[in-house]
Amino acid sequence: MYNEEFDKYYNENMIQGGTTCCPGCGGPLFWKLALKVFGPNTIVYGDGPCAMCALRSIKVPYYGIHFSFVADGATGISAALRAKGREDVTLISSAGDGATSDISLGKISAAAERNENFLQICIDNEAYMNTGIQKSGLTPYGAWTTTTPTGKESNKKDIPMIIAAHKVPYVATASVAYPQDLARKLEKAKSIKGFKYLHTVIPCPTGWRFDPAKAVEVTRLGVDTWVNPLYEIEEGVLKVSRKAEAKPVQEYLKAQGRFRRLTEEQLIYIQGEVDKKRDDLLKNDGKQVIH
Amino acid sequence: MSQIVRSFAPKVDQEKCIACGMCQLYCPESTVKLNDEKKVIFDYRFCKGCGVCANECPVGAIKMMKEGEQ
Amino acid sequence: MSFTRMMEGNEAAAWGAKLVRAEVVPAYPITPQTELISTIATLIADGTMKTEYIKVEGEHTAMAAAVGASAGGARVFTASSSQGIAFMDEPLWIPPGRRLPIVMCMVNRSMAPLGGLRPDHNDSMHQRDKGWVLLYCENSQEVLDTIIQAYKIAENPEIYLPVAVCYDGYFVSATATPTTVPDQAKVDEWLPPYKHEWYDLMPGSYKMPPPKSFIQQRMGLAEAHEKAKKVIKDVDADYKKIFGRGYGGLIEEYNCDGAEAVLITMDSMTGTARDVIDEMRTQGKKIGLIKLKCFRPFPREEFQKIAPKYKAIGVVDRNNSFGSAGGGIVAMELSRALYDVKEKPLIANFHVGLSGTDVTMNQIRYMADETLEAAETGKIKHVIDWVEAHDLGEVM
Repeated sequence: MYNEEFDKYYNENMIQGGTTCCPGCGGPLFWKLALKVFGPNTIVYGDGPCAMCALRSIKVPYYGIHFSFVADGATGISAALRAKGREDVTLISSAGDGATSDISLGKISAAAERNENFLQICIDNEAYMNTGIQKSGLTPYGAWTTTTPTGKESNKKDIPMIIAAHKVPYVATASVAYPQDLARKLEKAKSIKGFKYLHTVIPCPTGWRFDPAKAVEVTRLGVDTWVNPLYEIEEGVLKVSRKAEAKPVQEYLKAQGRFRRLTEEQLIYIQGEVDKKRDDLLKNDGKQVIH
Repeated sequence: MSQIVRSFAPKVDQEKCIACGMCQLYCPESTVKLNDEKKVIFDYRFCKGCGVCANECPVGAIKMMKEGEQ
Repeated sequence: MSFTRMMEGNEAAAWGAKLVRAEVVPAYPITPQTELISTIATLIADGTMKTEYIKVEGEHTAMAAAVGASAGGARVFTASSSQGIAFMDEPLWIPPGRRLPIVMCMVNRSMAPLGGLRPDHNDSMHQRDKGWVLLYCENSQEVLDTIIQAYKIAENPEIYLPVAVCYDGYFVSATATPTTVPDQAKVDEWLPPYKHEWYDLMPGSYKMPPPKSFIQQRMGLAEAHEKAKKVIKDVDADYKKIFGRGYGGLIEEYNCDGAEAVLITMDSMTGTARDVIDEMRTQGKKIGLIKLKCFRPFPREEFQKIAPKYKAIGVVDRNNSFGSAGGGIVAMELSRALYDVKEKPLIANFHVGLSGTDVTMNQIRYMADETLEAAETGKIKHVIDWVEAHDLGEVM
């Protein structure tokens, strides 16, 4: 009945409705919000997190090589844009958490060191979901995955801070549950020349084990409990985006099946780590944290 | 073209709806929007029935029905 | 302006990249390629080259960046050796699979652990299955000319294959010989700017190749190799016409008239072999030399045509293929090419120069004599003759 109207809407949104992502996946939601900011004069270079199913549906130019080449192809495309006099094009380089923290961490680090002119985005669903939920360096402590059936024993890597240490112009964390904040950060990144990095934890109902309908709600809880705090580091200066009182991490963790087996001690530990990070961020808010 | 297979599908109670646009904002698949008359419409060709719209609606105007009953 | 001076192979390669107006060079240093990219850096710094040299952090990245840049519309050049080529093995599948006309230099170096910094051909030949065109060069001049020819071959819309210009580390890369650098304007006229007909990543004109099944793509890739044989010969002939230098394209028959046996060599040892063959000819020995320049696509038809002229072919393999059906890689390729030829010569196979040891005139004389003996007796002595195992003395 509304087919024509929706077809027009998909074209305006620059993303086709009905991706092959799981119901409730945060990936297509992220791209829907992001493409509005990037606009049609964009090339997206991306690899294979399963949220990449969304990239099959975008209506801006897209090119990909597999995920061991995060930032590499974008480096080449960026050079080609300069060679062809098309530095007006917005270049986005997208990767999942497995690629970003594990197999291609060196690539991203090198691209940051070279101050490559593109926005590197980590679409973080906190495990190798595409291959059936295996642990990555960005899987949180205590989470169930098929390779950590008794809960991950190591901590989640702090990739945004690692990248910030490269003294790049702009690093930010954002969330699809706070779309205005996300849009503002993408807008800022788009306006900066040089290497930008955006980290966004997106909900994965399939891998995190919860009802897809709660996808945005769970993501919001991740931010509200300060498990996934929102902040920016621009030219080395930290700016905390959201300073509201923290809800207890329990609310966030209990909403997901992957944390079902957490013990009391583990909960206390996690709360402690989150508190430390929150205190650290608030203490340094507005300060030069990268020298 | 492959088919979207759903167990549930959203249905809106237009009386309750306040046209806030949260459903449109948060739908991961872009398959719900407000039309020019500020009525909530769905694209059942591509909606996956995830239920995010129903969950995010601040007034509970959207309910998930069994597929076929929307 | 064209000029001539002594140039090492690496420097000549850098000038080749300059003349083709390479737009993006993503590269990582590795002995014996390093002077190639440092020369490029110098040529960029002094304004001779207008190229973006991306100083990537590893070869794996170098080839992936090359893919992105080539798909993005830029003419790409890169280079590596041995361990570096192995490190980029994963992305090396992509240019032929996606038909991206990237040209790279493979500055031959033996692979660890059974090798050091000096050359043999395993590093480049190991890439023979992927779909890269593999061309081998004897000296600095040939390196420079082949790079220019390589882009003409690669960017031909009937072909769209990546090309590797291979040459021996040290023996070519660091050996200075007189090299003529052709005039830039002449090269510009001969080699038009790069524009891929299948790919355009720019918003507004975005274009990707039409979706084809894997089997269709594979057959297309194989077909491109078959077509490439003629294109490689034609390009060389045209280059010779315009620039005055040609190399035969696929193979060169040297001093073969009336020969009963021929030696097949590749790359730097060919230079030495020419002198040895000439000398043996003056002694009345009926031995000729075939230089195999193009290893992929393998010149099946050329060999089928000329093989019946000879009673024995001595194939010199500066490579190993452990556990093979018999001997070295070139010998096995040639055997298959000649299998159905009625009047086929004997194949004497030799390993020499492995792990980068010098190939001496004595060793070439030995291989030529063994091949002549095979031609005479109608018998082959070994499946594979490891020449370095013989005590032939150190110098010529």
